Amino acid sequence: MESIIRVDGLAKHFSVRKHYKGRFAPLKNFFTREASTVKAVDDLNFEINPGELVGYLGPNGAGKSTTLKMLTGLLVPSHGEVRVSGFNPWKERKAYVRHIGAVFGQRTTLWWDLPVVESLELLKYVYHIPEARFRENLSHFIDLLELSPFLGTPVRALSLGQRMRADLCAALLHDPRLLFLDEPTIGLDVVAKERIRDFIKYLNQERKTTVILTTHDLADVQKLCQRIMIIDQGKLLFDGGLERLQERFGGKRQLIVDFAEHYPDVHVAQAQLKDYQNRRAIYEFDRRELSASELIGQVSSQFQIQDLTVREPDIEATIRNIYEKQLLKVPET
Amino acid sequence: MGLYLKLVGVQIRSQMRYRSQFVLDTLALLLVTGLEYASLALVFERFKSIQGWSLAEVAFLYGLVEMAFGLTDMIFGGFDAPRFGRFIRQGSFDQMMLRPIGITLQVLGSDFNLKRFGKMAVGVVIFSYALSHLSITWTVAKLLYFPLVVLGLVLFFGGLFIIGATIIFWTVESTEVMNIFTYGGSFMMSYPMNIYETWLRNLFTFVVPAIFLNYYPALFFLGKPDPFNFPAFAPFLAPLAGLAVFLISLGFWRFGLKHYQSTGS
Repeated sequence: MESIIRVDGLAKHFSVRKHYKGRFAPLKNFFTREASTVKAVDDLNFEINPGELVGYLGPNGAGKSTTLKMLTGLLVPSHGEVRVSGFNPWKERKAYVRHIGAVFGQRTTLWWDLPVVESLELLKYVYHIPEARFRENLSHFIDLLELSPFLGTPVRALSLGQRMRADLCAALLHDPRLLFLDEPTIGLDVVAKERIRDFIKYLNQERKTTVILTTHDLADVQKLCQRIMIIDQGKLLFDGGLERLQERFGGKRQLIVDFAEHYPDVHVAQAQLKDYQNRRAIYEFDRRELSASELIGQVSSQFQIQDLTVREPDIEATIRNIYEKQLLKVPET
Repeated sequence: MGLYLKLVGVQIRSQMRYRSQFVLDTLALLLVTGLEYASLALVFERFKSIQGWSLAEVAFLYGLVEMAFGLTDMIFGGFDAPRFGRFIRQGSFDQMMLRPIGITLQVLGSDFNLKRFGKMAVGVVIFSYALSHLSITWTVAKLLYFPLVVLGLVLFFGGLFIIGATIIFWTVESTEVMNIFTYGGSFMMSYPMNIYETWLRNLFTFVVPAIFLNYYPALFFLGKPDPFNFPAFAPFLAPLAGLAVFLISLGFWRFGLKHYQSTGS
């Protein structure tokens, strides 16, 4: 399959002015121009195929936004190549942005003082959307995103969740094949987040829109993303599916067993007994060494079991694990 | 062009939503500019003329510049430095770059400020006063040339606005420096250039060609002699000088855009 995004050796280096501290610092800062280079993004390589839904993750300042800005043509890279749907994003800006949709977190593309519906109408002219197609998309998105209650409200008076829904609609009226979402659920309540997630899922599954999203909310990742890319200090540290991520970096699986009666010692050979009280034991085991059914077989052969559950390591713990322990440590250069 | 009108339509509709604010702002502008002119009239009350220019003649210049500046401020408001700086900082400019239409057109259509009608209106009133107190013989040449002078002035001021906005690509914060040229320039140009010190006049002749946009055309319309002995075509340079400044500013703007794309600040 022909990839929709291809990134080769992409890098963005910023030159940052040196800041002095101390007594005459303000004066020194004003007169000197010593700069150091910050590698916001350093040698990224990846491809994304049509129809993928990719979560682009990383701690603050990891280079996520810089990457998105380069992919959308807002920034010119220092090195490397980007092809998106056959375009060079920053050289062919006008032609290129017609084919993509983008919602950048806290910023709105809508006109602040206009009612939502008028902003959306205006986009019809901005993107030269054929009238029939525009009407069809508009009524469709109004239904899906439940925009009707606030279509006549000026954008400045919308709640954050309403504005995000309106912005999503605005980004999609021209049928983009590719959608960039920078923190689409940031600051929203649980219900609003869920609504946005459902909508993104629909876009990807029904409309076959390729979606790339950044987020700090791991529930977004868990519910949406088939593929995860983790970036830190400008370098891509992980690229693969959720399962592989958990396999490699996830904590252990747990088997929680309630015994029918009290046993003084419930240790078994291959799993570690983490906790045992009130007839409930928690075993931890590694999926690479042991399958859940094997363990259950072992335990049930020795003891009477009343009830049991297998608990998977959650994605949140997995990623926290990575960040905190720096499992994917960037090699020093 | 159709899209530009649509964008401007948005601005006008938005501003109409704040009708009382619009009325108050317009009144305030009328008052400020009116007072400015009244204080000038008081000076003339005592001295009758400034270096050979009567009150009515200065009013001609003042009204002309005020009208053109008001018009510029209305059309090129999107390039107004403080506003444009806010645009960059809030990321609205990035949003523009995500739309498949020209950036310049969008900035131009991002602020069409009706408030400036007030400033223009003051200009019109003062200009009418000048016309009623002067006996200008309006030849066909003068009638045809007048709109070209206004056009030259609008292009000239528009160019200064664009240069001011472009500087923000580097500084991010808006700088007061550009106001010296835009607001300061328009203020200076409201008075006859022969009252200024030579160095200052030279600055506004050879660095910023302002003198060809107000002073020389005014000499032509009012039929006054040229104290500086410039060539006879000097009064007719207004549209050219305006266009030159405008084109240079557009070139600088393009350069600034490229810089912005490579640094993101």
